[in-house]
Amino acid sequence: MKYLEDIILKLGAVDRRIIFLLIGLAVLIPLLTPISLPVRETPTTVKFYEGIDSIPKNSKVLVSFDYGPSTRPEIHPMNVGVLRHMLRNGHKIYISCLWPDGIYMALDALEEITDEVNPDNQSTFNIKEYEDYVLLGYRPGAEAVIKGLASDLRKVYTVDAKGRFIDDIEMMDEIKNLNDFAYIYSGSAGYPGTFEWVKYGGDPTGVPMSSGTTSVQVNEVIPYVQTGQLIGLLAGMPGAAEYEKLIASPGIAIQGMAAQSFAHIVIVIFIVFGNLAFFIKQRRDRKY
Amino acid sequence: MTFSAILGAWIAAFLTLGIFSYLYKDNPFYKIAENVFVGVSAAYVAAISFWTQIYPNLFGRLFPKDGPLSFTGLEFDFNHEFNILYLFPLILGLMMLLSVFQRFNWMARWGIAYTVAIAAGLKAFGYLNSNVLNQVKASSVDLFSGSLPFFSLGGDSVFNNIVLLVGTISSLMYFYFSKEQTGNFGRFTRLGIYFLMVSFGASFGFAVMGRISLLIGRFNDLIDYSSADYNFATFYVLLFIIVVLGFWSFKNREK
Repeated sequence: MKYLEDIILKLGAVDRRIIFLLIGLAVLIPLLTPISLPVRETPTTVKFYEGIDSIPKNSKVLVSFDYGPSTRPEIHPMNVGVLRHMLRNGHKIYISCLWPDGIYMALDALEEITDEVNPDNQSTFNIKEYEDYVLLGYRPGAEAVIKGLASDLRKVYTVDAKGRFIDDIEMMDEIKNLNDFAYIYSGSAGYPGTFEWVKYGGDPTGVPMSSGTTSVQVNEVIPYVQTGQLIGLLAGMPGAAEYEKLIASPGIAIQGMAAQSFAHIVIVIFIVFGNLAFFIKQRRDRKY
Repeated sequence: MTFSAILGAWIAAFLTLGIFSYLYKDNPFYKIAENVFVGVSAAYVAAISFWTQIYPNLFGRLFPKDGPLSFTGLEFDFNHEFNILYLFPLILGLMMLLSVFQRFNWMARWGIAYTVAIAAGLKAFGYLNSNVLNQVKASSVDLFSGSLPFFSLGGDSVFNNIVLLVGTISSLMYFYFSKEQTGNFGRFTRLGIYFLMVSFGASFGFAVMGRISLLIGRFNDLIDYSSADYNFATFYVLLFIIVVLGFWSFKNREK
């Protein structure tokens, strides 16, 4: 028993660089040699999928890109998945951005969708700007922008991201404010994002909305799902992977799940050994 | 592959591995990457703030110009009509800048007062409606609904409703300080602490998950940059950093 305790004490006091190295390897090896692990859908992701799937065909939907390069690995796969799902159902997509970098993320996502080809080497979606989507672009002001969109979209956007006047875009003809959209989705990495869309967009207008967020935000956002203010939620990269599975478009999120799982196992092992070592040391140091 | 894409990959690989090198210990590569990040971020935020906020929103209204404003190839609103009311934020903004002179620093308070009042008014309703009223409403659950199963892991159930109700009330009671937390009341508030601990544990778990996701993103990029398309950027940069770090550690071994 003492021998086992000594081993645990040694593992509990291991150099932090060894832990970094092991986590690095736990992430790197599954990425280099893809390992397929089962992905199980959680109820919030299923609710999210069903929420988007239940939008009447050929509706007008608002998709907001509220993130930047720093959180791209988590949010981008979700947003690409949401665009795919919405385009399959024939929706017209209106893209806004509350983050300045969001517009570049939106351009990347649109390029990814445009370049996608089927096994016959034909474009999968064959989307055209101003027919299938409008890139409204970034406007500063966070919640003020959402409040502006809720009352009069043309006061926030007079031109789109390409400088074309909103009044000259046919797709914008019937759009006056948020009430004219059938659905709102925000891919959010923080402020401004999901919270602001719920408070100033979804709740006041009653337009159904959902969101994809970074893992760090999940604990704060999840109460909105329980209240019905959000129709489901994509929670970090695992949420994106589950959604990719549901829409049958495996992508980068599913590829990353093995790495995520192995890294978690390593972290859990070290947490367990760290705690055991702490208690053993505490017991040995006790004088009475 | 264009030259700019290859150059970008080499810079990205260098900065990523430079930041990762901190895991070994503080070193010049980390310092370079850190300082570049701080400098670029500050300049980027300054440029973005001026060209996307101050210029179109303020000057665009005081000195209207036909047609949109182009910044980094993307367009922003610039075809507003002249509006004299925008002199007011201009004056308040200038007053805030005058705080650098000790004699005029009282002027900044007006601008700050205006900003605080607007933000408080704007956020108060949204917060009250979405975060208080709707949450309170959703906490009013039916504990004895015949239509719900007694237990369900994911969906609504009587058991989950009981947990929700007890968790909400006991956690709130923990922050009730007008009564000493002893006896039965103390035991109930202790239950509240356990609920809060579970919540903190979940937050920690999600935070770890998020950081690993970001690490996966960086590794995916580094794997891409290690291909022949990018002239094996990752391998060469990694080799360079290891060799220089090894030499640097050898030279500074006494420190």
